[in-house]
Formats: sequence, structure tokens, C-alpha cells
Amino acid sequence: MIEIEGVGKSFGQTKVLDGVNLRVAPGEVVSILGASGSGKSTLIRCINGLEKLDNGSISIDGFRVDDPKQLQQARRCSGTVFQLFHLYPHMTALQNITLAPVEVLKVPRREAEDAARELLASVGLSERAEAYPAQLSGGQRQRVGICRALAMKPRYLLLDEVTSALDPEMTAEVLDILAKLAAAGTTMLFVTHEIDFARQISSRIVFLEQGRLLADLPTAEFFAADGGLAHPRIAQFLSKMKKDH
Amino acid sequence: MRYTDFTVHDILLLLQGAGVSVALFAATTAIGLMIGLTWAVLRYYRTPVLAPFFAAMAELLKNSPVLVQLFLVFFGLPVLLETDITPVQAAVITLSGNTAAFIYVIAVSAIESIGREQLETARVFGLSRWQILRKVVAPQAAAFGLGPLTGLLVNQLQVTSLISVIGVLDLTKVGAILNLRTLKPFIVWTVVGLLYYLMAKLIATTCARLETRLRAHSQWKGL
Repeated sequence: MIEIEGVGKSFGQTKVLDGVNLRVAPGEVVSILGASGSGKSTLIRCINGLEKLDNGSISIDGFRVDDPKQLQQARRCSGTVFQLFHLYPHMTALQNITLAPVEVLKVPRREAEDAARELLASVGLSERAEAYPAQLSGGQRQRVGICRALAMKPRYLLLDEVTSALDPEMTAEVLDILAKLAAAGTTMLFVTHEIDFARQISSRIVFLEQGRLLADLPTAEFFAADGGLAHPRIAQFLSKMKKDH
Repeated sequence: MRYTDFTVHDILLLLQGAGVSVALFAATTAIGLMIGLTWAVLRYYRTPVLAPFFAAMAELLKNSPVLVQLFLVFFGLPVLLETDITPVQAAVITLSGNTAAFIYVIAVSAIESIGREQLETARVFGLSRWQILRKVVAPQAAAFGLGPLTGLLVNQLQVTSLISVIGVLDLTKVGAILNLRTLKPFIVWTVVGLLYYLMAKLIATTCARLETRLRAHSQWKGL
């Protein structure tokens, strides 16, 4: 269980997160929607311990992210996929995936490489194991990024706008994989602008606006006229996104 | 045979001098690398007291003339410590310290060239600071720093010629001796200069090869 309680975060005068409460139980797929600058990415950065919280607390399976002594264990529970991939440019796809399992989990290198090859095969990249990030397309890089997160066998997958830097075709490649993961019961916290996709795979949808949670509803309810759409700001956001498509 | 003629032995003398220059260069580069990199790692760990202390030390060393440092070590240190110091010892101490200071600067900027997002990613995956340094920072910083390092090493090779003034029999000193005997400065200094050129070229070529290898990952090999 990821438990986020009363989390607040400011950068200078700007309140980025303001009293956010959210729980993600194992098996759930929770999508976070909201305009740019609404605090979605900051929320992910708080969950994996990259930002210090101003108020509130976050724990993952009982390990407090805001306690330096428990942070390391909390981080082991979750895996993060980043918007701009953030692959290590000097390592091959295979090395990118095996680095953390070998160094942190102390998995024998052979074993880690076998597991990494299996993961690469599952995303259709068996041929690219020895390629460096610079030699991969954006969609391929992000698929490697997903493998890298999965290689740590996380209980929760944090996805921070993982398709925002990709063209529609590559986006489809990546979403395909996420749909499979969701179908396989992977727990995901999914920050996205892909509303239609979020609607397909999510069990719940959360809407952030200026750092506050405006809605936290089961997917069907979120898109229902008397549910999320009853909220003027959400209705406005959704219709705007539709127009952009 | 007239006393001022060149002899076959002069070639040996020149090679011997070149050997002394190369040996001093190699030794002081090795020591300088160890010291400079240690200072940079202390800074990476933000070690209190030590990191700012060595930063100030590097600042002093790189902003004063090597010749002045050499005189300070060779003439000043024995007076202060009431010991004797040989020209070679003075040369090794001075050049090592000077090289260390510049390597520190190169290493610091190379480490800082690694994008913050990569460090954050490695942290999120649970890597320790030391693991991040070894696996993520060092390989990329090495590739980044090799260019400036090549420039520094070529320069430090030439700087070794300064030690001839305190009596070390390096290539420049041998040149001076031959010049006094033969009274043919144009020939002597041309040959000495060419020998330095060849050594510098060798350093630059070796470093360039190494750099190509370290940068293999950014070479485009097609999809």
C-alpha cells in the first residue's frame, strides 16, 4: 500500500502540493490527471524520495519515505519510469537494466543478465540488448526504461508521463506494454495526458489542480456526468484535451 | 677532431636527458593524478574541512608560477625544515603538486558535467553514493575530462624543462650543456625542441585513442 497523507510541498512562494491524500492498494492502477504544473510530477518525486516533504507523510508498505533510515527500503518497493527516460548513456540497454539488480540487490551478474534479456524480449527488444541509448529510438529507450524499472521486481510502478516525449506511433508501442502490465495485475501509479488510455486501464482516476486533489474516483464514476464531470474544472479540462486530439 | 664538434655520444646524452624528462613527467603525472582525484572525490562527498582546504590549496597552486613554487621548495623548504633536499626531490614535489591542482579542477568540472537527472535516477534505484560515483559518474567523467587532461599533460611535459634551472639533468639541461660546448645554438635547440615535440605528440595521440574508446557509446551505429 502506498499511503500519502496530508502532503504539502512548496518551491519558494509556489505551493506545488497542498494537503494531498492518496492511497494505492496492491493490484490497483491509479491514473493521475491534471494540467501541466498541477503537481503531478512533483507528487511522483515525493513518493520516490527525490523531494523533501514540507508537511505530511508518505509510506510504501509501511516504510516511511520521509525517514532517511527507511527511505532505502521504501525505494526498493517501487520502480520509476521517467518522462525523459534518463537511461545511462554510457551503458548498453542490457547494462542499464542490470546495474541496480547487480549493485543493489546483489543478484549474480549472469542471473541478472538472463532476467534482463527476458524482459527485453517481452517488450520486443531482444535484438537491441547490446545497443547504447543513443542508438535507440525514443520508443525503444522508454521500453528499456520500463524494463529497467521492472528488473528490480517492484511492487509498485511509478510512471511519470512516460509517453509525453514520444510521437504517436512510439506512444502506442509503450502504451501497449503498459496495458499488458496492467492486465497482468501490476500495481501502477500513472501520471499521464493520455486520457483515453487512462480510461481503459485505470481502476481509479485522480485529478490534481494546483497541488490539490479535486477528485479521486473509480474510473467509470470519474467520466460519468454526475461524477467527475459534474465538477466544472474537470469537465473543462477533459473537453479541452478532447479538442486537442 | 675539434672540441666543438658534435660526437655520437651527444645522441646518447640527449636520449639520457629525454629519459630523465619522461621519467619525471610520468612520476609526477601519476602522483598528481592520485592526489588530484582524491581531492575531487573529497569534494564529491562534500567532506567538511578537508574539501574546502584542498580547494584553497589547488587555488594557490594553479595561480602561482611553477618556477616560483620550484624555488620555494628547493631553496625555501630546506631552510624551514632544516634538511637537505635534492634537485630531483624538489622537482618531483613541485611538479606533482602543480599537476594535482590542475587535475583537481578538470576532475571537478568533469564530475559536475554529469546530468543531475542521472544521479537522481541512480538514487531512486537505490545505488549508494559510492556506487553512483563508480558506475555512473566516473566512466562518463573520464570521457569528458580526457580532452582537457590531454592539454594539461602536454603542457606539463614542457613545464618539466623548468627543473633544469635547479640542476636536474633533463633534456633542456643537456641542451644547455651541448650548446655551451659546441656553440651551435640553432642546431642544438632545434633538436631539443623536436624531441619535446615528439614526446608531446605521443601523449596527445595516446590520449586521443583512449578518448575514442571511452566515447564509443555516443557513436552512431544506426538503428
